Amino acid sequence: MVPIQHYLWLAAVLFCTGMFGVLVRRNALVVFMCIELMLNAANLTFLAFARQRADNLGHVSAFFVIAVAAAEAAIGLAIVIAVFRSRGTLNIDEIRTMKH
Amino acid sequence: MAFSECLSQASLADCLQRFFATAPVDPAGMAQSLWLIIALPLAGAVVNGVFGKALGRSNTNLIACAAVAGSFLLSVLAFWTLNDPQAVLSSAYRRDPIPYAIGEDFGTWFAAGTFRAGFGLDVDHLSATMLLVVTGVSLLIHIYSTSYMGHDEGYWRYFAYLNLFVAMMLILVMADNLVLLFVGWEGVGLCSYLLIGFWYDDSAKAWAGRKAFVVNRIGDFGFLVGMMLLVLWVGALELQSRGTVAQPSADPWRVALLRSGPLNFRGLEEASRRIAPETSQITGAIPLDATIAQGPLAGFSFGSVLTAILLLFLLGAAGKSAQLPLYVWLPDAMAGPTPVSALIHAATMVTAGVYLFSRVSYLLVLSPTAMAAVALVGALTALWTALIAFAQNDIKKVLAYSTISQLGFMFMAVGLGIFWAAILHLVTHAFFKACLFLGAGSVMHGNAEETDIKKLGGLRKEMPWTWATFLIASIAISGFLIPLSGFFSKDAILHGVHSSALKGYAWVSPTVWEIGLVSAFCTAFYIGRLYLLTFEGKRAPDARVPHAHEADWVMRLPLVILAALSVLGIFYGIPLIHTSAGWETVMENFLSPVFVTARQLTRLFGTVKVEHEGSLLAAWAETWVIALAGGGLAGFLYLKYFPSPHRAPLPAERTVLHWARHKFYVDELYELLIVKPVRLASFVLYKVVDTLLIDTIAVRGTAWVTARLGSLLRYLQTGDTQSYAAVMVLALLGWAAYALFQVLR
Amino acid sequence: MSAEVLLFWAFAFSTVLGATFVVAARSAMNCAMALVATFFFLAGIYVLLWAHTIAVLQVLVYAGAIMVLFLFVIMLLSLTETGLPRVALSFSRVVGAAATLGLLALLVLSIGRTRTENVPWSAAHQASFGTIRTLGQILYTQYLLPFEAVSLLLLVAIVGAVVVAKPRI
Repeated sequence: MVPIQHYLWLAAVLFCTGMFGVLVRRNALVVFMCIELMLNAANLTFLAFARQRADNLGHVSAFFVIAVAAAEAAIGLAIVIAVFRSRGTLNIDEIRTMKH
Repeated sequence: MAFSECLSQASLADCLQRFFATAPVDPAGMAQSLWLIIALPLAGAVVNGVFGKALGRSNTNLIACAAVAGSFLLSVLAFWTLNDPQAVLSSAYRRDPIPYAIGEDFGTWFAAGTFRAGFGLDVDHLSATMLLVVTGVSLLIHIYSTSYMGHDEGYWRYFAYLNLFVAMMLILVMADNLVLLFVGWEGVGLCSYLLIGFWYDDSAKAWAGRKAFVVNRIGDFGFLVGMMLLVLWVGALELQSRGTVAQPSADPWRVALLRSGPLNFRGLEEASRRIAPETSQITGAIPLDATIAQGPLAGFSFGSVLTAILLLFLLGAAGKSAQLPLYVWLPDAMAGPTPVSALIHAATMVTAGVYLFSRVSYLLVLSPTAMAAVALVGALTALWTALIAFAQNDIKKVLAYSTISQLGFMFMAVGLGIFWAAILHLVTHAFFKACLFLGAGSVMHGNAEETDIKKLGGLRKEMPWTWATFLIASIAISGFLIPLSGFFSKDAILHGVHSSALKGYAWVSPTVWEIGLVSAFCTAFYIGRLYLLTFEGKRAPDARVPHAHEADWVMRLPLVILAALSVLGIFYGIPLIHTSAGWETVMENFLSPVFVTARQLTRLFGTVKVEHEGSLLAAWAETWVIALAGGGLAGFLYLKYFPSPHRAPLPAERTVLHWARHKFYVDELYELLIVKPVRLASFVLYKVVDTLLIDTIAVRGTAWVTARLGSLLRYLQTGDTQSYAAVMVLALLGWAAYALFQVLR
Repeated sequence: MSAEVLLFWAFAFSTVLGATFVVAARSAMNCAMALVATFFFLAGIYVLLWAHTIAVLQVLVYAGAIMVLFLFVIMLLSLTETGLPRVALSFSRVVGAAATLGLLALLVLSIGRTRTENVPWSAAHQASFGTIRTLGQILYTQYLLPFEAVSLLLLVAIVGAVVVAKPRI
């Protein structure tokens, strides 16, 4: 029997790895992929707790997370394409329109 | 009944007496029109102040003089009405009405908690006397001013201030409670400031006005604190005497206290009746040495608190009436126009202190300590300033110091309980001092504004009218040779002082009497000096104009009237009326209803005892000799000794003269002890507290900090999404740590 | 050492390795492939957690559809920035990295304090746990509204993607 904690630790490691990538990488697509990694970590947490509590609700949550992640990926990538088209670069450091 | 009918039935004297003892108007109606006396000059002030420049010189003069003339007529009517036995005042504080008084109560002015201040007018014989003096002398001075200020550009301002002053002084004199009196008190102080600094372009003159105001303010502060203590005192008295009365709620005094407040003069009179001598039992009364049981004054005795209150009032009166130590403003006040000096600083405003003490005479006689203080202050001031007047060369300054000295005489009388003599001297002093000042103004007018008497001389032939009136007024004030009104009033004071003894302060009255005699000698000397140097002898070689010209009739008329009044004032000071107590002077008899309570309390408490009352004639002779000696010495020195070419000045004489000329360096002492530290303190407060702490640190500092914070926070707006995300992670970290911490607890 | 434990450690190790490659790889294509691998291994872990349906969905949707989309976009925007260094040091990046490490420590600490025992379940429950039948039952009865909402969301996402990505409407 693998204790649930091990799954949770795995999820934590994945989450933090993903967060590290979000904060550090400069390529917009890579940042996006790291976000997907974080979402998966959350999924893993849901499922681990579902297993622990013998409750199917966690699976429902994970289902919805996957669906929403799909939608978000679609739109997000469309935006990345649009940004690349207008700016010619995917380097986050050079996309600073929010600066005042 | 009509005068003519009366003549057929009784003698002329009786008819005249009855005529003057019948009110010309209904006393109740007169009481209701009393407010007009104040309203007329006030309206005149407003009209002249606002429209004066547009109305033109002659209209302004007319309005101002007419307003004061109206007040004067009404005052005469009021005075006449008061002689009628039917003129009674029903005060809420007493059951039985007060004779020889009229007044009107306008209700409550303001209320704060249980304190009430009323609003009303109360005119008895004392107020009526003051009314006549104030309005009469004001009228003469207004007429004089129309000519004196005939070439001044700010005439409308002048008359507006002057009318305002009259209105304020009338409020002071007619007020029925201390709070309203204080309104008038402050008002005359304000007008004095405005008028002293009338020619404000000259900064020295403006500073003189400021000095007057500031010194007055010190006195006012004492007055205010005294008033507040008095409120507490009356409250404590009422509370503690409640137990000695059978039915407190039926006592009109207590009821009226709740409605109209503790500072009403009739109420204070009633309160003084509820004080008993030490260790005595009278129903409804508290002994003077009883300790106050509760309240903020607990632990002190009634007598000691009352003494403190009266000493504070003395401070206020010393400020307003220019006594030691607050007299320094009056000589500097001569920077204002001469009619102003005549009105405010001779006849009216400076007498407010004497009036105040006369008003609360019933309180004053309860405290021998305060009376001694008043008498000593008056005596010392009289002597001190008389000595300074010896060596002054400015004609107005001599008269200013003379005023202070004469006020000292009045305080002497008040301090020893002889109130009628003080008021008599007040009235006669108003006449001859105003005459002297107006005469000085005429001299200045005729000599191109020259005030140095060393540069005048020989004006007797060139300005006859001025000379004659000045001479009469000088004789009146000094009592030299011919006893005029001033002689009798001063002697009334000296004789009264000599024959009175204060309880517990037996040494005071001989001291005061001797100082008074010396001051009378000095008065005769310096007035003689002034007269001789100005009018007699040869014209000084460094005079401004070769020949002086006499004033026009507008300026001469008030001089003549005042000189005549200085002579006629004799009749108030001579014992002409025979009463059960012996021969009384007219003034004493006239004012006797006002000081009834004071007399009763003096008898009950034994505050002032009449001892070794010598013959009046002997006293007159003594004073006459002293005045003769003073005038004679002045004549000898200034007619023979000084002008003689063989004389060399002695070094001792030089030193004395030097000290007296520089006013004994009192002003410099005040500058060193008081003004410089206050300036230093305010400089420190300005630089450190205001500029540094408040402006720089608090106000600009806050702005600077905010600006710095803003420019720091600007760095957070990078436009870089990842840095925003980093911040979010930081926040998340913080929150997670907090949650973990909470869970772990 | 049961099979479950062994499998778990194998899958876990692989997942973490894949995740590290995602973060560390130089080109986006490499990152994408690593991510696909990570998803596969995660699916395996899901199976270990008795979440069969979700595991299948993970492979079908995440690895099969979303990652394909990613790869399309990567190849579409043929990247010419391979010469760039991966990470440029800046203040916010350092702060972010530090914060992440902190968060990791915190999470590890908190997880260490959770309960370890699983709630006991019956055999019938075990048989139906995580099956598509159970999941469908819950979705179509209790959580119908969120289900329909998500479908609407997907519609919006389709339309939005088309609108945003087109050069000209």
